[in-house]
Amino acid sequence: MDATHLPEVTAAGVIIKAVLILAVIAAIAGFGTYIERKILAFMQRRYGPQHVGPYGLLQLVADGIKLFTKEDIIPQHANKIIFAVAPVITAATAFIALAAVPVFPDFTIPFIDVYVPSIASDINIGILFVLGMMAAGLYGPLLAGMAQANKWGIIGSARTAIQFLSYEVVTGLSILAPIMMVGSLSFVDFNDYQADGTWLVVYQPVAFILFLIAGFAETNRTPFDLLEHEAEIISGYVTEYSGMRWGLFFIGEYANMITIGVIASVVFLGGYNDFWIFPGWLMIIGKIAFSFFFMLWVRAAWPHVRPDQLMWLCWKVLMPLAVVNVVITGIVIMLVQ
Amino acid sequence: MSLEQFKNRNVGTQNYKTLDLDHTPVTGMGQFKQVVSRTFKPELFVGLWVTFREMINALFRGKMHTTQYPFEKLPISPRYRAIHDMLRLLESGHYRCIGCGLCEKICISNCITMDTQYDENQRKEVSEYTINFGRCIFCGYCAEVCPELAIVHGPRYETASEQRASFSLFEDMLTPIDQLNLQQEYQGFGAISPNADENIKKTPLAY
Amino acid sequence: MSEVQTVENMVSITIDGVDYKAKEGEYILNAARANDIFIPAICYLTRCSPTLACRLCLVEADGKQVYSCNAKVKEGMEITVSTPDILAERRAMMEVYDVNHPLQCGVCDQSGECELQNYTLELGVDSQSYTIQDTKREATNWSSVLHYDPGLCIVCERCTTVCKDMIGDAAIKTTKRGGEALDKAWKDEMPKDAYAMWNKLQKSVIAPSNGTEHTNCSDCGECVAVCPVGALVSRDFVYTSNAWDLKKIPATCAHCSSGCQIYYETKPASIEDRTEKIFRVTNEWNYVSLCGAGRFGYDFENRTATKDATTFAAAVKAFKKAKVINFNSVITNEEALMLQTLKEKLGVKLINREARAFQRFLGFYSEASGQSLYSLDFKEVMATDFVMSVGSSLRNDNPNARYAFNNVQKLNKGAGLYFHPVGDTLVPTFGKNIEMFAHKVGHEEAALLFIIKLFADQDKLPSSVKEQLDSDFVELLGGDTAKFEKSFEKMMKKKESFSLMVGEDLYFHEKAENLAKLIAVLEASSEVKVAMIPPKTNSLGVALICDLDDEAEGYTIGYNESGDFKLSALGDGDLDMPAMNQQEGTLTNMHKRVTPTNAALEYNGYVLNDIVREVASAPKETIMWTEHLPVSKGFKAVEFDSLPNHYTNDGVEHRGYLLESTSVEVEEISVDKFDDSNALEGEIAYRCNPQRQFNDFSDKAHQIFEGFGLYTSPAKAEALSSKVEVEFANGKLTLDVIVDERMEGDIVAIPDFKSAENIYELFAGSRYQTVTIKEV
Repeated sequence: MDATHLPEVTAAGVIIKAVLILAVIAAIAGFGTYIERKILAFMQRRYGPQHVGPYGLLQLVADGIKLFTKEDIIPQHANKIIFAVAPVITAATAFIALAAVPVFPDFTIPFIDVYVPSIASDINIGILFVLGMMAAGLYGPLLAGMAQANKWGIIGSARTAIQFLSYEVVTGLSILAPIMMVGSLSFVDFNDYQADGTWLVVYQPVAFILFLIAGFAETNRTPFDLLEHEAEIISGYVTEYSGMRWGLFFIGEYANMITIGVIASVVFLGGYNDFWIFPGWLMIIGKIAFSFFFMLWVRAAWPHVRPDQLMWLCWKVLMPLAVVNVVITGIVIMLVQ
Repeated sequence: MSLEQFKNRNVGTQNYKTLDLDHTPVTGMGQFKQVVSRTFKPELFVGLWVTFREMINALFRGKMHTTQYPFEKLPISPRYRAIHDMLRLLESGHYRCIGCGLCEKICISNCITMDTQYDENQRKEVSEYTINFGRCIFCGYCAEVCPELAIVHGPRYETASEQRASFSLFEDMLTPIDQLNLQQEYQGFGAISPNADENIKKTPLAY
Repeated sequence: MSEVQTVENMVSITIDGVDYKAKEGEYILNAARANDIFIPAICYLTRCSPTLACRLCLVEADGKQVYSCNAKVKEGMEITVSTPDILAERRAMMEVYDVNHPLQCGVCDQSGECELQNYTLELGVDSQSYTIQDTKREATNWSSVLHYDPGLCIVCERCTTVCKDMIGDAAIKTTKRGGEALDKAWKDEMPKDAYAMWNKLQKSVIAPSNGTEHTNCSDCGECVAVCPVGALVSRDFVYTSNAWDLKKIPATCAHCSSGCQIYYETKPASIEDRTEKIFRVTNEWNYVSLCGAGRFGYDFENRTATKDATTFAAAVKAFKKAKVINFNSVITNEEALMLQTLKEKLGVKLINREARAFQRFLGFYSEASGQSLYSLDFKEVMATDFVMSVGSSLRNDNPNARYAFNNVQKLNKGAGLYFHPVGDTLVPTFGKNIEMFAHKVGHEEAALLFIIKLFADQDKLPSSVKEQLDSDFVELLGGDTAKFEKSFEKMMKKKESFSLMVGEDLYFHEKAENLAKLIAVLEASSEVKVAMIPPKTNSLGVALICDLDDEAEGYTIGYNESGDFKLSALGDGDLDMPAMNQQEGTLTNMHKRVTPTNAALEYNGYVLNDIVREVASAPKETIMWTEHLPVSKGFKAVEFDSLPNHYTNDGVEHRGYLLESTSVEVEEISVDKFDDSNALEGEIAYRCNPQRQFNDFSDKAHQIFEGFGLYTSPAKAEALSSKVEVEFANGKLTLDVIVDERMEGDIVAIPDFKSAENIYELFAGSRYQTVTIKEV
């Protein structure tokens, strides 16, 4: 697709896009729980939820009603303001990050002729912005854990800080190599770079794997779900949360999963380019869906690691590998030019 | 059985197999080798494959493992010891219980109580009978001791109740008279052994 | 008696090669039991004559097979309990007993306490060799309390034996069963004794001896107690409980002064009502026999009591201003001591009519004889062979005295003299050598003088007595002199020990002092020893412990009696008290024994000790008074918890302790002259309870049916209408006429068991009163 032929991006289009993202992603986050429970169940030869609505589809409605109607409990000795704000930070940063990510291809609403772009805000440092927002999302768990006056919460938030900050390095370094190749921080440029059908994962397999691993860590997924490791620290930073406040963390986590899925799809897996007979929008949805499925699959198959193994993996394996990858990429680029 | 095998308390040397595990590497090179070998072994993918295969099995090959419990129930062994049933005589429909009180006596959690009286047919009548299922530990002694196989363990294992003390009356446990034809002979703890006939010494009768 | 074991009358015997000592003249079975040797026996009862029905007790003595229940030990006798022959006999007998015995052990009321079951297992009966066609036998109710299932009966005849030898009613006997005749072929195949036993068993079954379907007896239920199988059961108990569910509480029966050993057997009443209830009363029937009140009158407990502080405060206030405490003898020694303490500390007067009369009489006797207590207890009376009774309606006043009188006739080939104004048709049936004198009311002195004349050594008599012995007492007492002399000669044959039982008539007699002196004279001058029947439950204890008053006025506290403030164990007073089956303590019975009793049922209210603690001072528990019972009166300073309460195999009673009796030398006794004009004439009422009724508590029990009414002989009843008005000098009563078939003569009996009717007031300190009976 050629950028010059695109219609004018209007404010109305951006707002529609923003609302769309918010509504769809939030809904998908909820739906994601249903999917997760179903997939995990199937992989264990169970049925999963099936009694609320057809195939248990309304389970997420039931869960939503439950979360909304639950009593809002704030512990007596908690820092109430921070306790209240923390989940909002998580959810907000997760959605803000999505602002610079191309979710769904662009389209024009018929009759009113409003062009809705694929990215709410196609800033030229898109990747930096997304990574930055996701990093800022650290404050949610960190503050939540520290505000709730609960030792498990404190341990959970400490783990959060360590895990997020450490893997932020790997994420950044792993994605640096593709950035060097593309020469831009804009997602659109990444997409266009792969328009010829050759996905960046072919050039950067190591970077892709590192990014995936780091992505799991950033989104607090198995095998790195140490932040709320219930066998060790009850529920980590969400120990004292319940009802909708807990729901916000939940939505934030699922939004982040989608974000990581989008980044992986756009940066490494050919973005929303058409492929063979499949149109671009189907491709991107398929890729995001697969990466989401992959996260669940991994959860069903693999056990999680110990915190020390996590750190060891990050600093002794992944970070050096990422650096080496960047260096080699640099050398290759230098030699090719 | 001799006591010899009970006196050998060295259980560790009996039937256990030790796994042939590698020793934990001590040198840096050894550790590096372990990491590399483990990293490039496809074990992680084996895990992924197994879960994926099971999903396929479950979804498309009809190997779903779930029993949809409240709607479906698994058949249970006749030896299972759940909520008691009071059986009737198939011939007359009269309840089998003769009120001998052995179950009441043997009950180790003291949950069985009965009241008996002399009825108009000059028989011992069980006027009231209760089992407190809050205390019952379902040991099966009552069924074992019952000389008439009148109290037996039935298949009803859902024992949740609103109160800790949950009393069942005789009528609750008794086979409904209209379902007498469905009454199953008890096979479990205390039932007549298959070779019971061989062990009987017959008493001569004058008529 | 086991208490008088001495070296002289012991013999050496060998049982299974081990040497033992046994009392001379004892049955081998009893000698073995006393030495803890087991010989199987079903039909034998320790204090009754051998029945020889079961023949299980077969042993070999000096090479000969004998029945150990019937053969007496001899010096140097060598006994073998089991030889192969005897074992074969026993096994055959048990097989015979098991022939056609219903296999309903699961529901049988004997529930494992069955001797048939025990011996079947003991003798290893695992198969049956004999068979005969069964006879249909229907279960019947013999009386208001007796239930007989002949199907279960093994015709061991223990019931008939105990009824005849111990109780004296002889209300049941063996009768024809109407079964198949035994096949003669068995005679050659079977061991001899087993065949003989079977032959008898197959022909008989137990039935009331009066030929009807119902027994006419005192409903004592002793037949139920001795039944080795579940054939005889009390009607109330049939199929209500298994023996193993019942908790046995050793106690002392509190209905009369016999103070029998009983067990209250309790368990929760029903599924809904988990409070403990007494289901039955049992006893050590080999060593003690109960009466109907003891066995069936057990549910007199006070259920209504609660700890209500206001009524308690009112009670304490009442005690503080009380001048008189009016009580009766249904009270423990401890409570009596509390009342005595109140008397000493607060100066209240203690009124207890029957105990006071007995106290006075005992006092007169002690003064004259020098003995603090009467000589014999009733176990010793049972061991004598000539027994007399004066001043007691033997059948009604005290069952144990009656059993003793009967047992002497049956077991000791004894003889008896029965002096009582109210004729009785039962007492003469106890034995062949009994003479009954239905003398005039007021001629009790004559009866005693007559006994003195018969038995005393004339040289030892004081002159005041000697000069009175010339008259013809037989004639005076209503007998035929010539006939009596003849029969008395027969009665005196081979008699060695003599006993006299005296009863309540004498204590309430206006010449009680003179009567007491005559008794002392009799004892001093003859071999006759005297036992006294205390009028009510613990009259002896109260008489010894309390310093009772004759008359008192002022604010009165009634304890189970009338008063301005009433303490009652019946639940009808101002403050509830525990009934006898709800409290622990000791009772002094007529055997001069202080026996412990225990609480069978829970009691939620206040006890007398609580009040005494408030108004004077008292220890924490009632039973802490036990060790403070007056040693000077013969009690011992023993803690309640260390009192034993059981019998040993040789029949020795280990219940509490015996009162110590002291004696001093006395001067010659001078008695008043007997004046035969004192006899009461006209319509006479006698204060006397029916059998099985003793007090309000026996009346409260649901299985005691004897009502409050005018008891008359059948002949007298014909002259009266069904309801009459009895007019006393100081009041009148309207009563239903109830026929007592065993009474004779014109004297009517009015019961005193209902304390609310104030019968003692009407009789004005006597047991006989002239009355006018009008039709209503």
